[in-house]
Formats: sequence, C-alpha cells, structure tokens
Amino acid sequence: MMRRRTAALHTLLGAYVLDAVPPEDRVAFERHLCGCLACREEVRGMREATARLGAAAAVEPRPELRERTLLAATRLRQAPPAAAELSAPPSGLSRWLPGRHAARLRWSGWLAVTAAVAAVFAAAAIGLGFHLGSMQNRLSAADQRDHEIAMVLGATDAVRLTADVRTGGTATVVMSHRAGSLVFIARRLSALPASRGYELWLMGPSGERPAGMLPPSHAGMSGPIVVRDLRAGDQVAVTVEPAAGSPQPTSAPILSVGLGG
Amino acid sequence: MARGDNAAFALVYDSCAAAVLGTARRVLRDPAQSEEVMQEVLLEVWRSASRFDPAVGSARAWVLTLAHRRAVDRVRSEQKSADRELRAAVATVPFDEVSDVVELRLEHERVRRCLESLTELQRESVTLAYYRGYSYPEVAALLGVAVGTVKTRMRDGLIRLRDCLGVE
Repeated sequence: MMRRRTAALHTLLGAYVLDAVPPEDRVAFERHLCGCLACREEVRGMREATARLGAAAAVEPRPELRERTLLAATRLRQAPPAAAELSAPPSGLSRWLPGRHAARLRWSGWLAVTAAVAAVFAAAAIGLGFHLGSMQNRLSAADQRDHEIAMVLGATDAVRLTADVRTGGTATVVMSHRAGSLVFIARRLSALPASRGYELWLMGPSGERPAGMLPPSHAGMSGPIVVRDLRAGDQVAVTVEPAAGSPQPTSAPILSVGLGG
Repeated sequence: MARGDNAAFALVYDSCAAAVLGTARRVLRDPAQSEEVMQEVLLEVWRSASRFDPAVGSARAWVLTLAHRRAVDRVRSEQKSADRELRAAVATVPFDEVSDVVELRLEHERVRRCLESLTELQRESVTLAYYRGYSYPEVAALLGVAVGTVKTRMRDGLIRLRDCLGVE
C-alpha cells in the first residue's frame, strides 16, 4: 500500500515541476519530496530545464514599470519583514535541492549571476545567514567574480551612476572607493559587427589602462563586469575597438564617466 | 547604504524582469495581470533573497519557479473550478498557436530545437502545462489521453528536455 502510494507520487514528478498538479497532490508530493533525495535531485534538474522555457519567453517590460518597481522595493526595504517571517523555515522552493553534493551549476549568462549576487548582497544587508567563509569555499572564476560584485554592491560607500552612451544605450556604474572597484553594466548598446567590440578603459592622470572587453549583449544587457584597481582621478570610458581588444584606445570614447574621489 | 540597495535591486530587475514577465504572460495572457505578477515576484525575490542558496540551484531557476507558480496559482484561483472544467471539456486548444508561439517567439534557438526533439505528446503535455498553465487532468482532457499517460509524458518530456539542454 505504502509502496503503491510512493510509486504514484513518483509519477507526479514532471507534472509537479510544471505546476500542473492540483493543490492536494502538490501538498502530498512536497511531503514526499522531503524524504526523497533522488526526487529532489530530479526536481532540481527539471527546474533548470523549465527555467530555460521561461527565459526563452522573455518579453521586455514597459519602461515605466522599472521605476515603479524600484520604488516599491525601496518601500519594502523600509519595512523589513517581521521577525516571525525572518525565522520561518526556508521556502521549499529553494531548499529541496541537495546541497554540497550538487555540482555547481554553470549559468548561461549574466541573468542568474546578477540575480544571485544581488540576492547574496541582500542577505548580507539584512544580516541573515551571509557567511563569507561558505562563499569562499566555492572558488572558481565565476564565483570569484560574483564575490567581487557582491563586495562592491555591498560596500557601505557604494554609489550608482548612470550615463547615456553616445552611440545609443545607457551604462550603469556601481562603484566603491573603499573596495577600489566598480561594477559596469550597459543596456541596449548599439549592435556592432562581429569584428568589433566595446572595450572599457580607466583613464586617469597617468594615462589609459585597458579594463576589459564588454561581453556580447544578452537580452539587451552587456555585463556585469568588474573593474579593479581604481585610482584617484580616474574616469571610466568605453571605446569601440577590434573584437580582440586594443592595448590603447584607437577611437574617441563613446562614454566617459568621472568617478570622483 | 540605500543607494547600494537600489543598485542591487536594479540589477535584479534588469536581469530578471523580462523573463519573469514573459513567463507570467504565457500563463496569464492578460498584460496587466502579468505585470502585477512580475512586480510581486521581483519584490518577493528581493524580500526573500536570503533564502536563495546558489549551491542548490541557479538563481534563474529559483526566480522563474516562483514566477511560474505565482502565475499558475493566480489563474487557478480566478477561474472557478467549474469554469476550468468547462474550458477543459470544450476547448479546442489551438495547437497551431502553441507551436507558433514556440516556433516564432522563443528567443533561444536551443530551447526550440530541444522542444522539437520531444515526441509530439511529450511536447504538447509540457507546453500546455508550462506555457498555458493547464493542470495534468486538464491536459489529459484536452489531448484525449489517459491521465496516467500525461503524467508519464510530462516527466519523460522534461527529462529529455533537461538532457538536451545540457542542464547539470
């Protein structure tokens, strides 16, 4: 009897991930999931797949929604969740997945990375379960970058600057003098031929230092990339260069932002 | 600090809003309701960010799981169950529309290709549930196949999709 019930629940796995189960089945399945490691692993993989279906359906929101939502988030931050909510058990959504044995997922693109970083930052900001140690245990290039981004975003002196790019699009810089770094993201840059790319520069009193190529844009966003070793009097600038990058700028900047300090 | 907060939330918004809105739009159809869900989901992500653990799944999966469930729950709560049954019984689901949607509007070539690699019944079961928000009994009614068959096809379809997409 028990076994038959369990087998029946197993067959619900796909429907469950697709949110296609009636409420009573959902509850039964989630109870089952708690005790079934293999199921959690299968759910995890399937969720990554359905997330690709969702991402593939992306539609750009109306521009005015951005400010409205950002404003709402500000209000939300001013009224932090109640203590009871903070200590509530973690949501099933995020925890039914095996922890340390799971291979770290490679995210394809900036979407997941920036969300994760912002999420980590938010955790730090509210002072919940943010452990530098556990982050540093997962060191890879991407992790290192996430970590650096989180450090900049989480810095108490973080400043955000936005500027228009001369050839179209906008750039956002989040900078921390204390961290000596900035995070650069651009939106809706003009498309370039494959042989050309956008190169970042730090331009200071002692000349220009290349600061990396912007990765190809994804759904209208380029970056985020981290620029380190800021010095007093630097400006961050962007030029159009051969795709492999140039040691010195070969064209006039299409963006130049003074960093102050 | 407040500025740092804003910048971080702006990142969340810029990176997720389009995918969240698109996911909600597929299920809800109604643009205004989809926008409401998008805002709710992004704020929820922001509020409960501390629950997110990158070691156990991607941020995208976390956010879009939340978005999809929120959209589906809204559809179900709004439609009286009788309404749903009726819809399931009489609907001649425009499969052309489903495949149009899949063929014309999916940005990601790989997703489209992987959906095509599914059997017809797997693909229909997965897309009717994910993109239209139908429950498995409804999908069974719509496709005129047994409930058990639909459950199996959903699972097999997702496994194949996962493997095709190279999800770890």
